Amino acid sequence: MTQPSDDTPLLSVRGLTKHFTGRGGQIVHAVEDVSFDIRRGTTVGLVGESGSGKTTAGRSILRLVEPSSGQAIFDGTDIFALKPGEMQHWRKRLQIVFQDPYSSLNPRLRIEAIIGEALDARGYPRGARRRERIAELLTLVGLSPDYSRRFPHEFSGGQRQRIGIARALAVEPDFIVADEPVSALDVSVQAQVLNLLGELQQNLGLTMLFIAHDLSVVEYLCDEVVVMYLGRVMERGPSRQVYAQPRHPYTRALLATAPVPDPTRKRTHVPLQGDIPSPINPPSGCVFRTRCPMAIEACAQVIPPVEHLGGNHHVACIRHGEL
Amino acid sequence: MTAPLPAETILSVRDLKTWFVSKRATTKAVDGVTFDLKRGKTLAVVGESGSGKSVTSLSIMGLLAKPGRIAGGEILFRDRNEQVHDLAQFEPKQFRAIRGREIAMIFQEPMTSLNPLYTVGDQIGEMISLHTELGRGEARARALEMLKHVEIPDAARRLDDYPHQMSGGMRQRVMIAMALSCNPSLLIADEPTTALDVTIQAQILDLLQRLQAQFGMSILFITHNLGVVAEVAHDVVVMYGGRVVEQAPVNSLFAHQKHPYTKGLLACTPDATRDLGTDGARRALYSIPGSVPPITNLPPGCAFEPRCSMAIEACRIAFPPLIPAGPETFSRCIRTHEL
Repeated sequence: MTQPSDDTPLLSVRGLTKHFTGRGGQIVHAVEDVSFDIRRGTTVGLVGESGSGKTTAGRSILRLVEPSSGQAIFDGTDIFALKPGEMQHWRKRLQIVFQDPYSSLNPRLRIEAIIGEALDARGYPRGARRRERIAELLTLVGLSPDYSRRFPHEFSGGQRQRIGIARALAVEPDFIVADEPVSALDVSVQAQVLNLLGELQQNLGLTMLFIAHDLSVVEYLCDEVVVMYLGRVMERGPSRQVYAQPRHPYTRALLATAPVPDPTRKRTHVPLQGDIPSPINPPSGCVFRTRCPMAIEACAQVIPPVEHLGGNHHVACIRHGEL
Repeated sequence: MTAPLPAETILSVRDLKTWFVSKRATTKAVDGVTFDLKRGKTLAVVGESGSGKSVTSLSIMGLLAKPGRIAGGEILFRDRNEQVHDLAQFEPKQFRAIRGREIAMIFQEPMTSLNPLYTVGDQIGEMISLHTELGRGEARARALEMLKHVEIPDAARRLDDYPHQMSGGMRQRVMIAMALSCNPSLLIADEPTTALDVTIQAQILDLLQRLQAQFGMSILFITHNLGVVAEVAHDVVVMYGGRVVEQAPVNSLFAHQKHPYTKGLLACTPDATRDLGTDGARRALYSIPGSVPPITNLPPGCAFEPRCSMAIEACRIAFPPLIPAGPETFSRCIRTHEL
């Protein structure tokens, strides 16, 4: 059963900013003034190329990286304002699945111990009930309960990612950040894990932030999408709308340059010129203007305001009307 | 005896076997691979991890690490003087005359292929002086010309940059400049855009296609990405478990797959028009059960049989031959006519 997703967001991110101090005191503007909402029971995709700040944004929300400023209102509470001790309590509700299933599981622990650690954090009692719960979690992610005595190296990449998901689900979170959970997997295995995430999301009513660089995966899995570039949100909105009618030149370029498995559909657009600029010294005004085919003088003057186009579709481009 | 090489064929790999032999086991990373690359064309070799696609390319270049060795088969290569060599029989010394000058290679991670201690100009220059009679000054001029060919902006200034001063995309351009500096007739590109972002990937793919039109080199393109295959390839070879499972011209491969593995690979890549209803409702993605088998533990019959929805008893018993399945199309599936 799909839960009717009510309209109050489970998570509201407002003005999320993360600056790192690099060598020589240079400020790295990793995430700059990022805002978006995730409604209960829905999945939001956070898309961008390397250096877009998508991973840092995702980790900041869980305070695995301490945000520099901003708010993350989760179920009525600003989790950025919580003291470390208080955060511990909230951690059970917010979990993460990592990209690399090889480095994210301790090679010296059996599967039951890996999942058990998460149960300990919840204060789960030891004994028969605990073993049952581990078996239940393994079954939930499509693995045999008999696997609980095995070690991570005995599993394939796809199976390890399932174990990572079981660990995240052990504490019964309502919110999961999935950080590129399929990009390290073979193509033939990706679909299995995507199907599993889709099922779990529906059956458990999970709310999910799905971080990815693969646009087709996000279009398939996510209700809404947030497109980031050099630390900032360029465009966000319902996936169908954004994919059908992108209103930011960057989103358009991303969609146009992604290779499609169809040789009769040759790319028509000229790819973007140049590289992503350094986040140490981002361009003035719109950060995308140095690569934007539509950039004009005014783009260098002001940071484009985020405009609401209706239906939760937002864009940060002063020339969006011409697209 | 070797069948002659057709005039339009620059590279013909025939029944290639590359094995890694240790006291404990023999790993048949490549086991009977056959394909032809036509002059001026791009042949894509597609496969997942452990398919043997990279070992195939390293075998051609004579870059196998021990204990890997070519255990059988031929690698016929036609050089610029129309001489045909069997690279499978080459001694390491003989490769020096071919590598760089006749066949060049670019890799996934350009940073590990470039020396961090030398400027890119010096590195391209070294490649040129090694393989030509050009002097230092001339080699530098040629290096600059190559940087312009690969469309590096402000090339004269970037000649004195060190690799770390460049972005990933720029470094891959430098690698391409270096690879093409001696005008090779064959370029082996092993996942050249896998580490790059999509907007940069598009730039590099465009560049390779422009350079191919300009210089006429043939390209052996190794990749796991079917989208990239559709964009660059003329012909495609699909590998699984160290063997070719399907081979076809690019348009017919994408229009009509003749092997259940290829069909599955395409079906499990999300596609909104197919996998989302008009109301946006998500259909479960087609998925191939199980995972890629370790090359050390392949089933005796068809390697794909344990994961194949069409498998029958006969698939388990006998190793399937590569059978004709259409014009220039071959499939290693005994039920291919049902597809």
